Amino acid sequence: MGWFSKSPNAMREKALRGAPAGPLRDYLSVPLPDPSTPLDELPLLAVDLETTGLDPTRDHVLSVGFVPVDGGEIVLSGARRVIIAADAEVGQSATVHGLTDDDIAAGAALVVAIEAVLRALRGRVLLAHFARIEDTFLTAACERLWSARMPSARVDTLTLQHRLVASAFTGDVPEGGLRLCGARAHFGLPVYRAHDALVDALACAELYLAQAAEFQAAAKGPLTLASIAE
Amino acid sequence: MALDVELSEIRDFLAQHPPFDALPAPVLGALPARLTVRYYRRGTPIIARGVDNHSLFVLRAGAVEVRDANGTLVERSEPGTCLGSITLTQGNPSTFDATAIEDSLVLVMPAEVFHELNDRYPEVENFFDNQRAHRMSGAVATLASSVSGGAILKTAVRDIIRREPVTAPVTATIREACATMARVGVSSLLIMDGDSLAGIVTDRDLRNRVLAADRDPGGPITEIMTSKPITGSADAMAFEVMLEMVGRNIHHLPILADGRPVGVVTTTDLMRLEQANPVYLVGDIAKQTSVEGVAAINARLPQVVEMLVSQDATADDIGRIVTAIGDAVERRLLALAEAELGPAPVPYCWVTLGSRARLEQALAADQDNALILSDLATEEHTAYFTALAERVVGWLVECGYPLCQGEVMATNPRWRRPLREWKEEFHTWLTQPVPDAVLAGSIFFDMRGVYGDLSLYRKLRKFVRHTAPESRLFLAHLAKQAALNEPPLGFFKGFVLAKEGDHKDTLDIKRGGVGAVVELARVHALSLGSPGVNTTMRIQAAIKNGVISQERGADLLDAFEFISYVRLRHQAAAVRAGREPDNRVSPDDLSSFDKRHLREAFGIVRSAQSAMAHRYPVSFIS
Repeated sequence: MGWFSKSPNAMREKALRGAPAGPLRDYLSVPLPDPSTPLDELPLLAVDLETTGLDPTRDHVLSVGFVPVDGGEIVLSGARRVIIAADAEVGQSATVHGLTDDDIAAGAALVVAIEAVLRALRGRVLLAHFARIEDTFLTAACERLWSARMPSARVDTLTLQHRLVASAFTGDVPEGGLRLCGARAHFGLPVYRAHDALVDALACAELYLAQAAEFQAAAKGPLTLASIAE
Repeated sequence: MALDVELSEIRDFLAQHPPFDALPAPVLGALPARLTVRYYRRGTPIIARGVDNHSLFVLRAGAVEVRDANGTLVERSEPGTCLGSITLTQGNPSTFDATAIEDSLVLVMPAEVFHELNDRYPEVENFFDNQRAHRMSGAVATLASSVSGGAILKTAVRDIIRREPVTAPVTATIREACATMARVGVSSLLIMDGDSLAGIVTDRDLRNRVLAADRDPGGPITEIMTSKPITGSADAMAFEVMLEMVGRNIHHLPILADGRPVGVVTTTDLMRLEQANPVYLVGDIAKQTSVEGVAAINARLPQVVEMLVSQDATADDIGRIVTAIGDAVERRLLALAEAELGPAPVPYCWVTLGSRARLEQALAADQDNALILSDLATEEHTAYFTALAERVVGWLVECGYPLCQGEVMATNPRWRRPLREWKEEFHTWLTQPVPDAVLAGSIFFDMRGVYGDLSLYRKLRKFVRHTAPESRLFLAHLAKQAALNEPPLGFFKGFVLAKEGDHKDTLDIKRGGVGAVVELARVHALSLGSPGVNTTMRIQAAIKNGVISQERGADLLDAFEFISYVRLRHQAAAVRAGREPDNRVSPDDLSSFDKRHLREAFGIVRSAQSAMAHRYPVSFIS
């Protein structure tokens, strides 16, 4: 959090004033966790979006997976995956996501998926690996659907991993060490099949628990959201 | 499906590990959503001793160690292991510590889900029941392995080192070094350069390199020492060291641990290790030509037991070995008596009774024996057999087997009778049982021929085997008596202990523990007409005949082994401390691991007793 940027809660309140009634407004009406929240009480939602590319103006969301984290515990009962009936043909990216055109044809409308994320994300920090993708695609979707912004409080496991493994002198990072599977291997976490939105969300949530434990072990007092937030 | 919650990675993981692999696919598929995931850094507790636990933990990645109150390692868990089922089924708080020894990812199942699975799926319940039952076997294994190495030659070197190394600095003179060796009384001396070993000097070096070479004793010790000698590792096995020493023809081997000398092993140490080998002992006894000789060899028996306990032998094995030695002693003494008195005028059989008859002799055992004479025996033969019995019984006392308080010995004319009269005696016990007679007579149902005409014993045994199963009243009396011998379940709570004399505040592990199982097994064996005299064999026969369920029987065998083992270990500790071995265990000498498992073992014995009482109704006689 920089000195010159507004706090997520301030941005949330600003967005709330212009948001139409509906799922986005409902999300915006619940305060985000305060930066002083200790990590062992912090509510987060690990989110993963599988997309056809990196540009939200051109590319499409194919599926969304999420799983809540309450403090130090991943709550699997809250885990969901939504496949979206995207307009574009999957084409090449099918080989990455394992979703066929048939899967996608049977999928839900984008609004259903975004609504599900917004409902689950109320009062929680958005947790993702390379969170910029989730942030920009969710924001773009909300602007398209409700013409309003979707500010969030974010924790990025990629940023955290960089802080943990980058050399203090050179800033160098081991090859592949920041990718989700590389970061998980660093902690001895199990190998998961990649690029299923729910599996990736769970993988990210587990990685977060390991990273938080590592930071906490090196810290003097209890860590708070402020020490790990974007 | 547009919206799904299938956590396939976690489901697939569970599907690879029992008991979850037994769940129907839909149940398994829905299970992950009922779990949570936690991460434990290396060194953090998952379940802590003295603290309540309300979850089952399934280790997903990493490693966990389970330790008891003494810090003894009970289990090292790999991914897929379930932790916490004991507190969930047996109650809180936990008596164990489960700590992550690597960074660990753990699936957490709430208690209600655990109980629901147990209630609905017998496979799951069985799995956790077995896990609990296996702790009994696990307890035995842990106890045995925590003492030391393996069989005779598998003893670790560090366990045969008898003293701290005796050393001298490299700056010492030959004279100073000799003075040290003489003062401490050792045949070798380690020469140290600071903390590291520079050489070794032995008696032989002093003879060959100093005296025979006419060297000045005022010269430096370094001139005559063997520099950079061959060394052994404290972690090596004794047999490896023995091979090394024999191969290189050396008699003293410095032993290092972490680069520093911790002692010297000599060929004498290795020979001592072999001498305590019970096979040699039995052989040596048979060679003796005098009672004194037999007694001298038999005096090594306590050391043999101590050694066997420290070498992982099971209580069952140790009982057989102590029995074999006792048999050897008795046979040798009978042969010596016959040599003195001349051959017996009519055939006879010397029988042993009680624990030795069951191949379960421990230390501190009284002698229990009897004579079965041929039916050809008459009045005129009384003198010979009286003399025989008196000699052997007296010599047995000399050899360390005290007289039987209850006079159950061949010197008692009542227990020195022709086969015909023995059959009558047994017939009376079996068909007209009165409680006192049952009590007095029960020891005779554990009988084994040791010496003489064993066919006499076999005939008597055959008679008993055929008559006993029909003797319902007798069995009911015996069952009642066996059930009265209650295991001291309250030992760990209210302390049901002897309250007077030397035995104040101790547990009689023989009477309420080992004895309770022995009596129970005897009742079952007699009712089945089973030929087994050994308690383990008797329980196995009862299982085979469906008198005891497979599960209860397995538990009972483990419980018997564990109680017997604690008793033998107690006796071995007494031997080591130079005390008389006995059957009185002080609670202070028991770890919480022992106490917990003894309590569990006693519980198993108690429930086997109730099942037996049910089978041979006491109401039938009371």
